[in-house]
Amino acid sequence: MTALTEQIALARARSVVRKAPGKGFDGLFRASAYGAALLVLLMLGGILASIAYGGWPAFREFGFGFVTSSAWNIGTEQYGALVAIIGTLASAVIALLIGVPLSLGIAVYLTQLCPGWARRPVSMTIELLASVPSIIYGMWGLFIFAPLFARFVQVPTSNLVEGLPVVGTLLYARVPSGVGILTAGIILAIMIVPFVASITRDMLDQIPTMLRESAYGIGCTTWEVVRHVLVPQAAVSIIGAVMLGLGRALGETMAVTFVIGNANRLSASIFDPGSTIASRIANEFNEADGMQLNALMALGCILFVITFIVLIIARLLVRRVKVA
Amino acid sequence: MNAAPAISAAPSGRSQANETAPVRIAVKNLDFYYGSFHGLKGINLDFRDRQVTALIGPSGCGKSTLLRTFNRIYSLYPEQRAEGEILLDGRNVLDPKVDLNELRARVGMVFQKPTPFPMSIYDNVAFGLRLYEKLPKAELDVRVEESLRKAALWDEVKDKLKQSGMGLSGGQQQRLCIARTVAQRPEVILFDEPTSALDPISTGRIEELIEQLRNEFTIAIVTHNMQQAARISQFTAFMYLGELVEFGPTNRIFMNPKKRQTQDYITGRFG
Repeated sequence: MTALTEQIALARARSVVRKAPGKGFDGLFRASAYGAALLVLLMLGGILASIAYGGWPAFREFGFGFVTSSAWNIGTEQYGALVAIIGTLASAVIALLIGVPLSLGIAVYLTQLCPGWARRPVSMTIELLASVPSIIYGMWGLFIFAPLFARFVQVPTSNLVEGLPVVGTLLYARVPSGVGILTAGIILAIMIVPFVASITRDMLDQIPTMLRESAYGIGCTTWEVVRHVLVPQAAVSIIGAVMLGLGRALGETMAVTFVIGNANRLSASIFDPGSTIASRIANEFNEADGMQLNALMALGCILFVITFIVLIIARLLVRRVKVA
Repeated sequence: MNAAPAISAAPSGRSQANETAPVRIAVKNLDFYYGSFHGLKGINLDFRDRQVTALIGPSGCGKSTLLRTFNRIYSLYPEQRAEGEILLDGRNVLDPKVDLNELRARVGMVFQKPTPFPMSIYDNVAFGLRLYEKLPKAELDVRVEESLRKAALWDEVKDKLKQSGMGLSGGQQQRLCIARTVAQRPEVILFDEPTSALDPISTGRIEELIEQLRNEFTIAIVTHNMQQAARISQFTAFMYLGELVEFGPTNRIFMNPKKRQTQDYITGRFG
């Protein structure tokens, strides 16, 4: 009996073939993982620094006035970012105002109301929407959506509100061409819906069935369950999804360049053409040099800062919701 | 703490079954289907006023299914359906004309895991009240306090009513869910394995609480813990494979079961 256990013990000892691991490979592995992470930081820093460097002459020349001036005159070399900043923010906000309720509706429908057989097809369609290249949205927006929008929305609305206070300015199209800030916002909304909707759907799906049942169990209607229990429960993730959508809307270039009208004019009407930072850069970079190029670089810097601020706001919101 | 009695011994410290108490819920010829699966087969069972009725049986025997028919929570799932009659004070709750929201306010439910809503402790309790009653703030405060007291939670949370319900311990969260249910002044409270996610001390407190709640409410509780059924119930129904095998006062079911299956189950021969 003892002999047998001893034999087993010996056999065990002999079967250990793994040598003490060499320090060399593991060190290399650690270093390369570290390097990969560092590379991203370096790249981000490098891009930011080079754009800031390129834009510096414009900032130096125009000072803070670069942000507050609405001039963009290539002949006289007077540049200001105000129109593009406002266009960027306005089109992104419109995109959120339209896209977020739509996305929430889609997510709630898919997770709470949709019969089983319809779930997959509808989900797939939404996800396919995300894979449409932005140039397609731009082309469709310019050639198909804009003329229809001009004819059936801009003209009738302008006729209706003409002369009225506030809405008479906000919704009046001087040239009902179909392109403009609102058109860009609508196209952007279509583009962000798949992202926001599918993330929100996944988050609502993760909520335990029991929580949902207990909300129904005290006699809530579907609206009350969604409004007071499910959406607050998923609030943090939904904010994240919305901010992702906002990031996309702020930076989207191709589709917006097609449908925003590319005018450097401050207008209080959302039917009027405008510019975003991205569309301005896309339109002009090809032939820009000298101060114009510097001004475009400076615009790029500002876009960077805006998205950065959005990120910070998102973080703060998430923290506040988590604490509450 | 309750001392856990041996199963075969007479359950102690629990009031006797009142077999003449009026019937609150009468289940008549109830069949239940999950799609084509026949989950409950011809159930006939009465739940008496202000008595605790325990539903016991091995996993998958249909005890939770039966409980979930009383507030029709199963109807969230289109493939599930019930046939037969469940009379709550003489009215058939399976009647399609029944207002589900009102029914669920009359028949409260507490689940296997605590499910506090993502809002403050106060709002967790007030939420259900606000759905049905327009109460002035002062009265709402009174009702919230009363409900938290009934759930034996008031002393632990009275200084932090504005804090999130998610911050409480598991046992406290479950008592919060009970307070939320009690606040609506239901007639019947359904407990679906309410202590299965809790530690023994929290379990003990919930059991004491159920004992107290019995003075006011008719209670049905699903449990896979036979000692628990013996400790807190006046009536016990033993279910197996979707059928009701035996029903009677808890004392008799545990001390003197008539059916062989019941005896095998409560003595631990299968389950």
